[in-house]
Amino acid sequence: MSGVPVSAYLALALILFCIGLYGALTKKNTIIVLISIELMLNAVNINLITFSKLGMAPAITGQIFAIFVIAVAAAEVAVGIAILLSLYRNRKTVNIDDMNQLKN
Amino acid sequence: MDLETLLSYEWSLMGPEFIIVIASVILTLLDLFLPKKFNRRMLGWFAFVAVLAAIVSLLGLLDNQVGSILHDTFRLDSFAKAFKLLLLVGSALVLLLAIDYEPKEGLTEYRGEFFYLFLTGLLGAMIMSSSGDLITLFVGLELLSISSYILAGLRKKNLKSNESAMKYVINGSISTAITLFGMSYLYGITGSTNLNEMSGMLRTLTDPQYTYLLGLAFFMIFVGLAFKLASVPFHMWAPDVYEGAPTPVTAFLSVVSKIAGFVILIRIMVSIFSSIPVGDGTIPMLFDLQDFIGFLAAVTMILGNVVALRQRNIKRLFAYSSIAHAGYILVAFTAMSYVMFDSIWFYMLAYVFMNLGAFAIIQLITEKEGSEDIGHFAGLYRRSPILAVTMAVFILSLAGIPGTAGFIGKLNIFLGALMVSPSHYVLASIMIATTVVSYFYYFGIMTQMFFRPAAEETKLKLPAGTNAVIIICAVATILLGVMPQLAFDFLQTNFNQFMDFMG
Repeated sequence: MSGVPVSAYLALALILFCIGLYGALTKKNTIIVLISIELMLNAVNINLITFSKLGMAPAITGQIFAIFVIAVAAAEVAVGIAILLSLYRNRKTVNIDDMNQLKN
Repeated sequence: MDLETLLSYEWSLMGPEFIIVIASVILTLLDLFLPKKFNRRMLGWFAFVAVLAAIVSLLGLLDNQVGSILHDTFRLDSFAKAFKLLLLVGSALVLLLAIDYEPKEGLTEYRGEFFYLFLTGLLGAMIMSSSGDLITLFVGLELLSISSYILAGLRKKNLKSNESAMKYVINGSISTAITLFGMSYLYGITGSTNLNEMSGMLRTLTDPQYTYLLGLAFFMIFVGLAFKLASVPFHMWAPDVYEGAPTPVTAFLSVVSKIAGFVILIRIMVSIFSSIPVGDGTIPMLFDLQDFIGFLAAVTMILGNVVALRQRNIKRLFAYSSIAHAGYILVAFTAMSYVMFDSIWFYMLAYVFMNLGAFAIIQLITEKEGSEDIGHFAGLYRRSPILAVTMAVFILSLAGIPGTAGFIGKLNIFLGALMVSPSHYVLASIMIATTVVSYFYYFGIMTQMFFRPAAEETKLKLPAGTNAVIIICAVATILLGVMPQLAFDFLQTNFNQFMDFMG
């Protein structure tokens, strides 16, 4: 860990977060959107671990927080996929653009 | 941790939460093992009784001093007690609506799931209102969110319900990720997740370099939490999800979920960002960023009220109206007057009754029809004069006409915005102007009910639970409008202006 500065980890996390946000907002396939959301959450984890190891006040709390984020993210995506499955059974599509029953 | 330390905690502080968690576990098992033909409505009554028991247990805790257990991750201060009371009352009324809910295609198989998911969502909201740690706040937020994702999609065969749940999951996860990213910076700067320790750390910060990072964290957390409030910039899910979700779930989202959003917003913002000195160190960051919050509040009010004007679908209309109400409450949050907690609490109390009463009637009228067009309200006065009059009471209260709870709530927020110095004249006038705009769509419903001929003359059958909700809400709306001191005295005697929020 010695050679790499903290800012590099933080930049990596920020870039990962932005890629995830971009993917979540632009992609047409719902599965890809869910994966992009995972990217955003994992960027958070990188941040937390970096701060917990190399931050100004290193403490184990950040790693605990990261474990909670991982567990909750898994639950969230499981629910997302389940909802997508039931939608697919009715509509036979996973394309976001086809989800247009509800609009003004 | 051995048994002795475990037993030394004052677990009674968590009494209401324990009741809810035990009830939801029992309901899950009962729903799994009971025979198919057993009427699942009984489970709803069980859940209702559990919520009532939690209210009683919370009332028993009202006199307690501030207490915190589990290393200060769970704290029971007056803020937690006051808002938990609102959450519990709101959920009890929503449960009564859910028991009577009967969509066109039926709900036989899934009805049981309604009730324990409501309870777990409520549990998440309660944990949020009394947590003193970022981790528990986050877990509570997600417990509420995940339960409501499933609830929104509970009508599995209904396309609109599927779609609304999908949109809700995607929007919700993105907003959660944004909030978390902001939280991770906060953790990085302070090295702790405990709200008290964090604010203590931040008071000593002087390096301006950190101020930028904290500003970024502030924006991300605010934007992410705007999702739960359904306020700008994360409001666009609300109309779609409100329209597609089953009506009791819409009521849950517009009341319980919104209250929970404000609870977590106040917890994080007031306890962390009000202790960061900026500039020459005399004003805290939260006050420095008031213009930003005020701008969002103004945009939320304008957008909610203006777009609501052209809605024909009653649930979409109420979605935009609920966006507008989030804007009004944000005005109180922007002003940060010393009556902020009182006025927000009172507005939400009024909002619980007026909005849930209105949703009870909406559910009654639209569940048998295929659509939720506003035209179904035509001639309601002919079909059932009492329903039409009570709906009128709720609508007048939502619009903020004197004599109703909504008026007192708005008046408090308005005065609060003018009482601080410098006064928020612009924000207060936008609030008045958008309230006037809101009269158009609210009174549009009244025109339908009283002056349009009915398409059908059939009498409406009132189920017992819905009936109870309508009566309670109507009485409370008028009572709080005529005698608001009832609620304010209750606040004064029990919560002492929320003095122990920071301590």
